[in-house]
Amino acid sequence: MTRYATPKLGAYVVLTALGLLASLIFARPELALIAVPFAVLLAVGLAYARQPDVRVHVELDSERVLEDDEITLEVELDARDSVARLELLVEVPRGLELVSGRNPVALRLEVGEERVLELRFRCARWGAYRLGDVHVRARDAAGLLAWEQTLDRAETLRVYPRPEQLRELVAPRETQLFTGNRVSRQKGEGLEFADLRPFAPGDRIRRINWRASARRGDLWVNEFHAERNADVIIFLDSFADARRGGTGTLDQAIRAAASLSERYLVGKDRVGFVNFGGVLNWLRPGTELLQRYRIVEALLNTEITLSYAWKEIDVLPRGTLPAKALVLALTPLLDDRAVSALLDLRARGFDLVVIEVSPLPFAEPAPGRSGELAFRLWKLLREGRRAEYERAGAPVVEWQEGTPLTAILEGVSASRRHAHARA
Amino acid sequence: MAVYGTLEADRLALLVLALGAGSVALLAFGLAVPSPPALVGSFVGIAASWSLSAWTRGSGAPGGTILAAAGIFVAAELAYWSLEQASVPDEPELLARRAAGLALRAVGAVALVSFALAALGLNAGGGLLLEAVGAAAAVALLALVLLLARAGHETAER
Repeated sequence: MTRYATPKLGAYVVLTALGLLASLIFARPELALIAVPFAVLLAVGLAYARQPDVRVHVELDSERVLEDDEITLEVELDARDSVARLELLVEVPRGLELVSGRNPVALRLEVGEERVLELRFRCARWGAYRLGDVHVRARDAAGLLAWEQTLDRAETLRVYPRPEQLRELVAPRETQLFTGNRVSRQKGEGLEFADLRPFAPGDRIRRINWRASARRGDLWVNEFHAERNADVIIFLDSFADARRGGTGTLDQAIRAAASLSERYLVGKDRVGFVNFGGVLNWLRPGTELLQRYRIVEALLNTEITLSYAWKEIDVLPRGTLPAKALVLALTPLLDDRAVSALLDLRARGFDLVVIEVSPLPFAEPAPGRSGELAFRLWKLLREGRRAEYERAGAPVVEWQEGTPLTAILEGVSASRRHAHARA
Repeated sequence: MAVYGTLEADRLALLVLALGAGSVALLAFGLAVPSPPALVGSFVGIAASWSLSAWTRGSGAPGGTILAAAGIFVAAELAYWSLEQASVPDEPELLARRAAGLALRAVGAVALVSFALAALGLNAGGGLLLEAVGAAAAVALLALVLLLARAGHETAER
């Protein structure tokens, strides 16, 4: 612990010294008498001041929670020596809100006393936090000396984004070779009827369609659509974030990415993740629960990092973007690098769907006519970008805060079905 | 204290009042900002205001000295308590305990000053005993400051 003199000690020393010296200089007894209580307090207070001995233990009731969940942090204090005034401050990272309990708090501990302080927090925002760094300051009874210490008792708390309710997912145009839940365009083993064809040596007897064979006087067999999985890449644009208050486009995008990856993985698809921003990171497509945790961990570490370096899609390693993969891009369409990279992906033949996390609710025109005009021009520019994607054959759907993601996905699916029917 | 000093002053009442009012303003500023040096300045000012008032009444410690000394001491204790509350508020239990402690210190200050007044048999001329006590206390304080400064330095090095 670091000991230091409080401002009170300095002040009392100065008052005592001035009182006594002035008393001598001006030969006024009342000045010496005014200094007497201060001098006595200094002498007694310093004589009895001792370094306190308090053990602090911090415990979190849960290490993994969802957004809006509440957690309890217990701070256990065990005093080996009495402390006249112990100030305790638990460092609370942004994103957590204190619901109940006192922080900071000042209390007195007797010798051998054990106290448990309960602090309840609401996890307002997703992320990985370190919670539990405790700043302790003890003062002696006279308040003349203080001892300070910062205790690193932090535990890692992971707050996962709250998943959105999704009824329907955007179906990939192409499937892969592995077995899954998607009806493939290819024929093979499956349940979905595809076509009839004449019997060929090697066909199983149970595949013969007896009704069709009887009508045509020849043996015909049923063909089925194979059931395959698909590759889905969640492409997160983290170059820019439009924020207001406690929410922003990145938060929306993160929640959507977590929900989408979870649902596609449940459907046995392989899901990959690309965080395209100031800091680039990626996960090759994978399946199962482990991949889900990998993606969520990657999402928790996502943040906006300012960078002026131009990045293209070539910076991603081979295998991150497998051929025929469906790329679901979550972007506020604010940064030219992400816009250009997505167009590049489409030009390379990827099945691209752009979910535009709209920054409009977080933006407002600057006051004055020129501000209004600039705002309108900006909106026009955004429409131009959308049109560019549409021309390239990638649907763009605007997702505004408050609209359920499932409604947006249903809209995308419908427009893809219409486009397919027209083709 | 400022008003009391003004009322008790035989002459220079306006100067005593100005000094006292300035000190009170400085005290308010020190608490609002908060600024410990301003608090020291304000207590020095109040003590000076009281002394000036006492000086106008001639030699010898005036009757209100006991209350003045205890009053300034209690005001200082309350002021530094307020500063602590501004950063971290006390628990209700601790608050009650500290209030009791402050009351005890106030009574102690009154008793101490009364005892000192009676024991020293003070008059305006002071005398050898008072001067010896003052000089010893000033030297002891300087030694204390040096000792604390050295101890603080060693802790920081560790």
